[in-house]
Amino acid sequence: MKKITLVLACLFSGYTALAQQVDFEEYDLDNGLHVILHQDNSAPVVTTSVMYHVGGKDREEGRTGFAHFFEHLLFEGTENIEKGKWFEIVSSHGGNNNANTSNDRTYYYEVFPSNNLELGLWMESERMLHPIIKQEGVDTQNEVVKEERRLRVDNAPYGQLLNAVCEALFENHPYKDPNIGYMKDLDAASLEEFQAYFKKYYVPNNAVLVVAGDIDMDKTKKMIKEYFGPVPKGAPVVRNYPKEAPIEQTIRTKHYDSNIQNPALITAYRTPGFGSREAYVLNMISTYLSNGRSSVLYKKLVDDQKQALQVSAFNLEQEDYGIYLVFALPLGETSLETLEEEIEEEMKKLRTELISERDFKKLQNQFESNYINSNSSVQGIANSLARYYMLYGDTNLINDQIDIYRSITREEIQDVAIKYLLPGKKAVIEYLPEENQ
Amino acid sequence: MKRLITLLLICSFTAVSAQIDRSVMPKSGPEPEINLGSPKEFTLPNGLTVLVVEDKKLPKVAFYLNIDNPPMAEGDKTGVASLTSSLLGQGSKNVPKDEFYEEVDFMGARINVYSGGAFASGLSKYTDRILELFSDAILNPDFKEEGLEDEKKKLKENIANNAKNVSNIAGRVSRALAYGKKHPRGEFATEESVDRVTLADVRSFYNNSFSPGSAYLIAVGDIEYRDIKKKITNHFSKWAKSSPLDLSYTQPEDAQYRQINFVDMPNAVQSDIRVQNLVNFTLNDEDYFPALLANYILGGGGEARLFQELREAKGYTYGAYSRATPSKYGPTTFQASASVRNEVTDSAVVAFLDVIDNFRNNPVSEEELKRAKAKYSGNFIMSLEDEETIADLALNVKINDLDKDFYKTYLENVNKVSVEDIQRVAQKYLKPEKFRIVVVGKGSEVLNGLENINYQGKKIPVKYFDSEATAIERPVYEVSAPEGMDGATVLNNYIEAIGGRSAIEAIKTIQATSTANIQGMPLEVEMKKGNGKFMLDMKMQGNSMSKQVYNGSEAFVVARGQKNVLEGEQAKKLAESAAIIPELDWLENAPELKGMEMVDGKPAYVLEIAEGELYYYDQETGLKVKQESTVKMGPNTMKNIQTFGDYRAVEGVMMPFSMSQNIGPQTIDLETQEVLVNQPMEESDFN
Repeated sequence: MKKITLVLACLFSGYTALAQQVDFEEYDLDNGLHVILHQDNSAPVVTTSVMYHVGGKDREEGRTGFAHFFEHLLFEGTENIEKGKWFEIVSSHGGNNNANTSNDRTYYYEVFPSNNLELGLWMESERMLHPIIKQEGVDTQNEVVKEERRLRVDNAPYGQLLNAVCEALFENHPYKDPNIGYMKDLDAASLEEFQAYFKKYYVPNNAVLVVAGDIDMDKTKKMIKEYFGPVPKGAPVVRNYPKEAPIEQTIRTKHYDSNIQNPALITAYRTPGFGSREAYVLNMISTYLSNGRSSVLYKKLVDDQKQALQVSAFNLEQEDYGIYLVFALPLGETSLETLEEEIEEEMKKLRTELISERDFKKLQNQFESNYINSNSSVQGIANSLARYYMLYGDTNLINDQIDIYRSITREEIQDVAIKYLLPGKKAVIEYLPEENQ
Repeated sequence: MKRLITLLLICSFTAVSAQIDRSVMPKSGPEPEINLGSPKEFTLPNGLTVLVVEDKKLPKVAFYLNIDNPPMAEGDKTGVASLTSSLLGQGSKNVPKDEFYEEVDFMGARINVYSGGAFASGLSKYTDRILELFSDAILNPDFKEEGLEDEKKKLKENIANNAKNVSNIAGRVSRALAYGKKHPRGEFATEESVDRVTLADVRSFYNNSFSPGSAYLIAVGDIEYRDIKKKITNHFSKWAKSSPLDLSYTQPEDAQYRQINFVDMPNAVQSDIRVQNLVNFTLNDEDYFPALLANYILGGGGEARLFQELREAKGYTYGAYSRATPSKYGPTTFQASASVRNEVTDSAVVAFLDVIDNFRNNPVSEEELKRAKAKYSGNFIMSLEDEETIADLALNVKINDLDKDFYKTYLENVNKVSVEDIQRVAQKYLKPEKFRIVVVGKGSEVLNGLENINYQGKKIPVKYFDSEATAIERPVYEVSAPEGMDGATVLNNYIEAIGGRSAIEAIKTIQATSTANIQGMPLEVEMKKGNGKFMLDMKMQGNSMSKQVYNGSEAFVVARGQKNVLEGEQAKKLAESAAIIPELDWLENAPELKGMEMVDGKPAYVLEIAEGELYYYDQETGLKVKQESTVKMGPNTMKNIQTFGDYRAVEGVMMPFSMSQNIGPQTIDLETQEVLVNQPMEESDFN
């Protein structure tokens, strides 16, 4: 039986030995909706997803948190899907669904056994065409979002960390405010404001639809046209957010958290946005510094010198500006000052010396390995296709991104460190237990 | 080729179908066929069972070692398992730690060894070396004194770091109370128990738990069966056979009666609630499938009853769920849980009990059951997308002694479950009379409510524990009232604080205008009182939404032009509102001092004016800071809490210019714009 399935899979998808190559087809509907299809018939599963180019940063001053709020609101029902039935419809057809919101985009998706492809398309097109946005739903979700904030931010150890970083690094750009928003802004927002927000951002020309998995291409295209074709095109979305002046001297701030006992040190840098070559280099630097137990900072601070309980470097990629941060928890009597000096010493080495040939080879191996793992689930592929199209402007990156990493040199790593990871350009955040205030 | 034909048939069928009608939910196509492969398998002479799944889709490989040990108690050295986990995988006797880490990272691979097993993954071109390092780290760990000291330090630091982590404490206390602190599932590490662990303890823990006879190794990925079999045999045959552990523990028991077990965490902004009792069933039981579906209907996800009630209907929480896990090693817990905001802690406990009670006492609908079955069938089908699942299922069959066709008949068994089965297992496994309701939260804000829950005509006893699950006395939040203080003095202090009796008595009428914001809409509130009359008019954009009036003889409410005359208790309350400062009247028959409580971090005297009607006066300033009453809304009772602040003098009398009103989940903040006194009042105001 298995053999037959495999033969069929080959027949339908042009299955090749170079399996990590992701084949896809993309096109636009007349209303501007971008469509990406990826066929993989090896298992009877299909993902339908829509990414909208709207996130935490898309808001007016005093009205933060709208995109995340919509992540909740757009499950409340549509003209043809009764309030409260969304989850029930999905699960009663054996599927799963969810959504997530970043500062730049919102992603909604369903995963179904492939006999429910049409249902998934229907639901996403309903959400785009005519969701019900009423006061009742706004009120319920307002409470739920407050609980989400308490759970994830106010009651969680180190839960306010990212907010503390954003406050320190941004003064003018909307990235300064939490993605989930300020509760007073949501309380004060009127129904009309929510409705206007939907009209502005949740339009086909500001979205990408991805259908991936066990599908028939022609049938799927026809259904997409039927379900999404009637959605009216919206006005073009124009963004013009305030720019940040360069950081000229080290920013030092303190942040207090009542849920922690141990302080933490965060050093953070403002970096360029998505798709810039420098952002890829910074990803490599993060891996070099803290990925794996032989990485520079882990080995030095956790293993050899025993000064830290934990240390991690992240490159948080975003559309307008990225955030590069190093997070460390001191061990025992180690002071935050000492941690800062020790971390700065490694940053300095990055700026003044080339990393070793062996470390460079190791980095390349690690990125090859990540690449092969990155496209191992259809659900993951769907998300990557949407992201590369919408935020990087090049769907082909799903296959080609590895070439960018392959082309990065040791000299470039040094150059980027010199350009962005300077002591005078960083923010140092002391994240402290509340009782020390 | 059957599938091809089916597919062709579907294609031609849909091609002729007419225009879509989006008002109708699309129908599902025919259920896809599932393909449940089985892994290849062999056993080494030392007892190690190996399962191999060839999956050539991507050039990668993964190994999972799973050791099926019964839960092992660590006793006064709890932490030894965690320390052993940390020390394992730090190289081996043959490859020093630094070299080991360097090589693993260089290959872009991962190798982790822990007390219950091990995991390795990487590119298949490195399969040989990964397997070599993996087996070496498992079989020849290099336990060193220095490493142990480092790990102990880190573990203790982690324990200290979690001291204020509400959900972490809730997990630990709920397990300790369910199983007992000496049971392997209930014990937890403390700084003291970690200190007691020696290197000999680590070695002996490793020797007891790493026995090939109870171990299963899964190899999955771009590998050839014959080749990998040779290599695994080569590396793992050295693993010495040892006798499996035979352990037994005192059986945990349920609480004797329903109770709340409360742990105070002053930093909590949400209460972590866990409603639990013990359950005992295995995957082999006839109850397994009904229990699976029953839990799903009750609390298995966003469409389940707990989530729908506590989140979607009431907005108490971001999520409410339940779980019940089968185990062949004795009882586990059924647990329903949620993190809810402080103010609704008591209401959320009641909501949990109501939902569960209803679930036990009434059959679920056919529709609900059908949906649950569809969910499980669909998820089962979809899980088979991952080749690793096939190995996991085969492993489950072995570890749990299941029928070899357990997963082949899985869908069939899911579909066999009836409404009666669901109710039978709900009544068997959910024991509301013995529920232990563990609540970890901010006592000064939530405990009072918890102690006063009235559920089905009875209070629920509350017991108090510290964060290590040791029973303690009730924590005291009320500051005790000073000697000689009484209700009359509190009232007199208040009257003095706001300007004195003569200044108050000079005021005959009050008119106040306030504004608030409700869901983005400005609300204007106009209040007039005096001469034995009272009027409160709420307006939106100039239109009256609701007007409450007591005109000296009749109490009524006008809403949307409809007049509604009030009777009895409601009428009486409205009439009482006409008093300029009611405290003057209460003095004639002063209530007793009920006690003291913290309001906004400051001690306040509490007076109970009528049943359930509480007034709070700040100890320092004497001013009234809070008022609490109970409102009946349909079958529910809700607390109506008002707080007062921003006192300003108006004609020599201090009045609050800011007021916040809290009813159920709603909070309304009122800001007073203007207060006028002794203005003539129009008769028309009270129509």
